[in-house]
Amino acid sequence: MAVVTTPDTPPETATAPPTKQPFRPSALGWVGRGLLWAAVAALVLVLPLSRPGSDVREYTTGACFAVVALSLNVLLGYVGQISLGHAAFVGIGAFTSAYLVTVQGQSFWVGVLAATAIGGAQALVLGGVSLRIRGLYFALVTLSYGLVAEQNIFQIQEFTGGGAGQRALKPDWFESEWRYYYLCLAFLAVVLYVDWRMMRSKSGRALLALRENPRVASTFGINVRLAMLFAFVVSGAMAGLAGALLAHGDESVSASYWSFSLSLFFVTMTVVGGLRSRAGLVIGGAFFALLPYLIHKIPGLEDLLAKVDDPVKLTPEYATLIIAPLLLLLNVIRFPGGIGQQIRPVQRWMTGHRFDRHDHGPKEVQITDVRA
Amino acid sequence: MNDQQRRGLVIGLAIAIVLIAVLWLMDQEQSIVIGIVSGSAYGLVALGLVLIYKSSGVFNFAQGEFGGVAICTLYLLHSSGVPYGLSVLGALLAGMLFGFLTERIVIRPLFEAPRVIVLVATAGVALLAIALQQWLFDNQGRPIARAFPQRDRITIFGVQVSDQRLWLIGTLAVLAVVLGLFFTRTNLGLAIIGASQEPTATELVGISVRRLSTFTWVLAALLGALAAVIAVPETGQFTPGVMTAGYLIPAFTAAVLGGMTSLPGAFVGGLLVGIIYAVASSAEIFQDIPGTPSTLVVFLVLLGVLIVRPQGLLGKPA
Repeated sequence: MAVVTTPDTPPETATAPPTKQPFRPSALGWVGRGLLWAAVAALVLVLPLSRPGSDVREYTTGACFAVVALSLNVLLGYVGQISLGHAAFVGIGAFTSAYLVTVQGQSFWVGVLAATAIGGAQALVLGGVSLRIRGLYFALVTLSYGLVAEQNIFQIQEFTGGGAGQRALKPDWFESEWRYYYLCLAFLAVVLYVDWRMMRSKSGRALLALRENPRVASTFGINVRLAMLFAFVVSGAMAGLAGALLAHGDESVSASYWSFSLSLFFVTMTVVGGLRSRAGLVIGGAFFALLPYLIHKIPGLEDLLAKVDDPVKLTPEYATLIIAPLLLLLNVIRFPGGIGQQIRPVQRWMTGHRFDRHDHGPKEVQITDVRA
Repeated sequence: MNDQQRRGLVIGLAIAIVLIAVLWLMDQEQSIVIGIVSGSAYGLVALGLVLIYKSSGVFNFAQGEFGGVAICTLYLLHSSGVPYGLSVLGALLAGMLFGFLTERIVIRPLFEAPRVIVLVATAGVALLAIALQQWLFDNQGRPIARAFPQRDRITIFGVQVSDQRLWLIGTLAVLAVVLGLFFTRTNLGLAIIGASQEPTATELVGISVRRLSTFTWVLAALLGALAAVIAVPETGQFTPGVMTAGYLIPAFTAAVLGGMTSLPGAFVGGLLVGIIYAVASSAEIFQDIPGTPSTLVVFLVLLGVLIVRPQGLLGKPA
């Protein structure tokens, strides 16, 4: 992190020997950066306009998965806890919104708000129970809760609409796939903003402190349990929001989608995206959401995969399921920073810094004396 | 064993006796037997979980899939004509090999990493194993032959038990004795216990904790494989990921119930969870719960233990 010091007494510094100036890109440098920014904007904002509606639906899913990745990052990246039942949080958010809009006749906005609130409330209860004992018990409790959601909550006919699933129409004025995609992007931007502001605040710094060492954090007067509960609630609320957006994006929700594997898939995309790197998380979420679609779109790749048809054809769906954990393991063992760490030089360059190929951000400090 | 642990054991036994009595009164004697058999499977998986938790300090979410790999191998070998006994042997070896590879490739490089990252890695291993099974079997359930063919029923204390279940319970009893002897009488067993309780002291007496880590993972994998080989053929079919969805969560509940650090606690916890499962699936008051009532009941047990007695029945107070 570059430290920019502003001189206290400007008149004297004029005669003093020139201090090292902060790096300023040249005019050509600014043009290059501008072009790359424009390319990113074109990819995210303009490209969907030229695609058919069914493709845009995939992009919408990508934006929603990015929100899920940001939500898991609050746990995994900031406080060093993990939820293995995130599919339940997202799924219950989806069904809450779908139920309120379709069965109760409420507006989309009420549905989204309720899904967010219920997501936070579930995390509050489960987090409160799992913090009774030190350790990663939130992982256990959420894993078990995920199965309860799958086998009990999603079996309630009235709530989930049974086997046919619950309908969830898009809100007024956002009926077209394109408009809804931009709506989801707007929600993603809000979540990114909240996440950014949160980590700049005192409570955000408290979260980071307790991840590295809960005992030291508590000696600095941080209420470790309260701070962790806060993180659980924020994460749960984001997950609920993502669920509501996903539900209305697909216009129907069915119970079989929210399985145990999906929870692990969410963890995968978060870790591969890169903990504590917002850009990496968004890319990770979008990449994994679009992976089956990309395999489908890249010419020849699907046929190449289908050559492996012994004993069962390797469809894009199965390929995604197998590629994801392989990437995860490769990531955890070899490149712990994920995509976020790899793109950091480019990211720094784009925000007006010198291009440094070896800048991979701060190294994670290993604290071995305290077992989480 | 201190006073508090003794009290925990008494509480556990009391709950078990009450539940068995409830089942008896409901004329559900069959459920008692089913509960004990599946409970032992949960107990075996939980034993593996506790072993690894004690030695690596991590919840091993791949524990279920050690068994998943085993049962997969059993199915593949048996359906290609290998005799059942040899298939079981092959299955156990496959499970152990998977545990060995997991430790060597995934866990060892992460020796110094934060525990939550190791947890993610084990979840990744589980996801990979499940994905491969889903692809291999096209996400369909497959029928699998029982270990002991059913011939006739035997009546003990007025309870009709099929001879196949008696064989299973006999096998489990022998297994429990062998494991108990292994951990208390053999050098390797004592070393594993030592390394999990006091790694530094174990190093000081000349035992390599790192090398034991491999043994521990292989042993845990063997326990998971045993559980799968015992319990899954009982149900008549196996589906991809069944060991994670159907056995890992009850086993975790059992391990937490037993105190997460106690080996006997894990097995007792497993039996208790098995009986609770049996009560939950046969008692009429639970029939109004939508879907599978036992899942909800096990979840509530987990929450209840964490709220009322976070240190578990036989664990050390936090």
